Amino acid sequence: MYSDLLHALPDVFAWTNFAAVVIGVIAGIVVGAMPGLSATMAISVLVPFTFGLEPLVALGLMAGIYNGAMYGGAIPAVLLRIPGTPAAVATTFDGYPMAQKGEGGFALQVAVVSSSIGGIASAFALMLLAPPLSKVTLLFGPSEVFWVAVFGLASIIFLLGGNPIKGLISACFGVFVSVIGSDPIYGNDRFTFGQLEMLDGINIVILLVGLYALPPVIDLLETPLKTDGVNSSKLGTEPIWKALPRMKYWKTWLRGSLLGIWIGILPGAGGSMAAFMSYNEARRTSKNPEKWGEGEPEGVAAAEVANNADTASALIPALTLGIPGTAVAAVMLGGLLVHGLQPGPMLFRDNPDIVFGFMWQFLFGAILLVLLGGSLATNSFARLLNLPRPLLGSVIIVLMLIGVYSIHGRMFDVYLMLGFGAIGWVMDRLKFPLPPVVLGLILGGFAEENLRLALRIGRGDPMVLFQNTTSLILVALTVAVVVGPTLKKRFIDSRKKA
Amino acid sequence: MLNIFKKTAIAGAMILSAGAALAEYPEKPIQVIVGYSAGGGTDVMARTAAPFIEKYLGDGASLVVKNMPGASGQIGVTEAANADPDGYTLGTFNLPGMMARTIDREAEYDRDSFTYLANVVNDPNVIVTSKASGLDTLDKLLEEAKANPLAITVGMSSLGGDDHFALIKLEKATDTEFTIVPFKGSAPARTALLGGHVAMGILNISEVAEFQDQLNVLGVATNERSQFAPDLPTFKEQGLDLVNGSMRGFIAPAGLPEDVQAKLIEAFSQLSDDQEFLDAMAATANPVEVVTGEEFKQLTSDLYDLANGVWQTTPWN
Repeated sequence: MYSDLLHALPDVFAWTNFAAVVIGVIAGIVVGAMPGLSATMAISVLVPFTFGLEPLVALGLMAGIYNGAMYGGAIPAVLLRIPGTPAAVATTFDGYPMAQKGEGGFALQVAVVSSSIGGIASAFALMLLAPPLSKVTLLFGPSEVFWVAVFGLASIIFLLGGNPIKGLISACFGVFVSVIGSDPIYGNDRFTFGQLEMLDGINIVILLVGLYALPPVIDLLETPLKTDGVNSSKLGTEPIWKALPRMKYWKTWLRGSLLGIWIGILPGAGGSMAAFMSYNEARRTSKNPEKWGEGEPEGVAAAEVANNADTASALIPALTLGIPGTAVAAVMLGGLLVHGLQPGPMLFRDNPDIVFGFMWQFLFGAILLVLLGGSLATNSFARLLNLPRPLLGSVIIVLMLIGVYSIHGRMFDVYLMLGFGAIGWVMDRLKFPLPPVVLGLILGGFAEENLRLALRIGRGDPMVLFQNTTSLILVALTVAVVVGPTLKKRFIDSRKKA
Repeated sequence: MLNIFKKTAIAGAMILSAGAALAEYPEKPIQVIVGYSAGGGTDVMARTAAPFIEKYLGDGASLVVKNMPGASGQIGVTEAANADPDGYTLGTFNLPGMMARTIDREAEYDRDSFTYLANVVNDPNVIVTSKASGLDTLDKLLEEAKANPLAITVGMSSLGGDDHFALIKLEKATDTEFTIVPFKGSAPARTALLGGHVAMGILNISEVAEFQDQLNVLGVATNERSQFAPDLPTFKEQGLDLVNGSMRGFIAPAGLPEDVQAKLIEAFSQLSDDQEFLDAMAATANPVEVVTGEEFKQLTSDLYDLANGVWQTTPWN
């Protein structure tokens, strides 16, 4: 089972494939460092351009960007108290106070080392867990896959935090979009308005680019960034080999990695939740919790290790079952699909060099992070914040238009993308979460198709959905996710009263 | 007087230009529209065949493959049907899918929209059962199907495709009934078979060749044993008259000039004797069966009649 893993290694070191990871990591740090631009956005803009590339070059770029962006988000979080990506919110808590004390350079070094450790742990988790899981997935027939999809939808609505009603509405919009196109069983047209272009349904990449790339770009053009606080001479950076011995956060790193890996595997949650949980746990068990929030380096370590530890692990359900755990994993799945790589057990059988090569790329991406982000360029990356934002925004819009046009070579898709962009912008302004839309599109399609297949297998008897242990476990998990938060709240409320 | 002169001049010009076309076709690159994305079975066939067609057309002919994916190939084939019939736009053609689409939805083409050049690939259907089902011979399968009508679930890649027609033929020939479970494509159907979630499957030989140890392959729907997997028995050997498959070939818009049509068909017909071509197709899991011109048209017509007959009695959507 693991011999394929070693077999895939030489391909990863083909210079084009390796260069892709290096470029990806650097690009990821840049993207992450720009407030408003996220890994999801960068990868969705990139996917249409990867058609013509070798699969490992394309996947290497994506793995690199994902790892890089998760660290890059820490740069403005530390220097400006503006999280570069949503996952870097918890990094501001102690990172910014450190920068004010003139320890910004050390904070960034802690961030990059922790990010790297989280990424490495996550890549190992992917390598160890995905191959055996891919064997078990044969147990997942239509009724089990239906329940996995329902569980995924339930958890993204209820675990994302904030307002479950808004999450539900977002998810419903996504599920509605999944209904557009040919009916999966009979092939009848649904909501296509006679457009031949709509028969195949809405291409996930078009939705992603519109929804995830357009609103942040509009924000980018709208709001000037105050960069007064950035003064790289005040960072107080010392060489990383001198800084390393000061980092003794083994417990925090271990806990944060495990938390991040676990949250990455769960569908719905993602980097920001992992970072918050890791930060809270580290603070709770700390000897001096009162210093946290005033510039405790361990706080930066806790947040940054966890938001990188969910990167590769989010691909475990994506590669084995075709069900992405996070929005970024969903985009990457889109990247696999454009290369004709259908996730599931057959992927591991038919394309072992690609799928295991991809895992190695995650590992090397995480290792490169500390080399590129840590030693070479802590100071130069800090200067990224001074890039002219209108120029950047315009370049991204042009890339989006070209990319979406090139998917099928038709303007129809471009208009569709702009339409989704407008919807995404309005939803963003009204504080509707966007990840449920994407997972609604993917999981809604899964749920419908597999429910109908399962019912055909059961010849119309709904009991076919409850006939085996795997299905029942998934039903129980779904109920727990839906009811759990409410019960917990009631319990806390009743304790408060008493 | 002037009028007659004009007419003669026009007629003369037409004769000249026709002569020029005969002498020079192809004088510019020929576009081949593939209705699926790059890397799929039909695309691989088109790209594998292109250099050989160039060779047989001679005179530095060049074929350019253009992918127009979408709507199960319908977008691309519609584009090819509506192109100028000048020999510079060809298209790929899939059977029975392209004909079934004219029956089960509104299509902007019909069987008379094309000049039939050549069918190149015939990927025969196979019947497989999951190891868990215990139905490891054709006799056991048919016995069970007769004893319990509709009890056997059959995974396949879609309704109205070659798999579906193979099952209809089987049901008619053996007076049995099965429960159809149409997955979205053959890969998920095969995965469900490996996991034992459906008992039986109808797939194509290229899709099961590597899975012979994990599935029971009960037979192949060909007249003679497939060169692709010579160790697998046909249904005919087992006393069941069942021949069906997924076919892929090339068409041009209807109304192609006769000389151009003849030249193209001549080029395509040479494929079947070209060992280099056959090897290239075998390497990409494409069983070759070249059928050209009138025969190809007749084949399409027969399949249309079969599909239409089925549709009249038991529409699939």
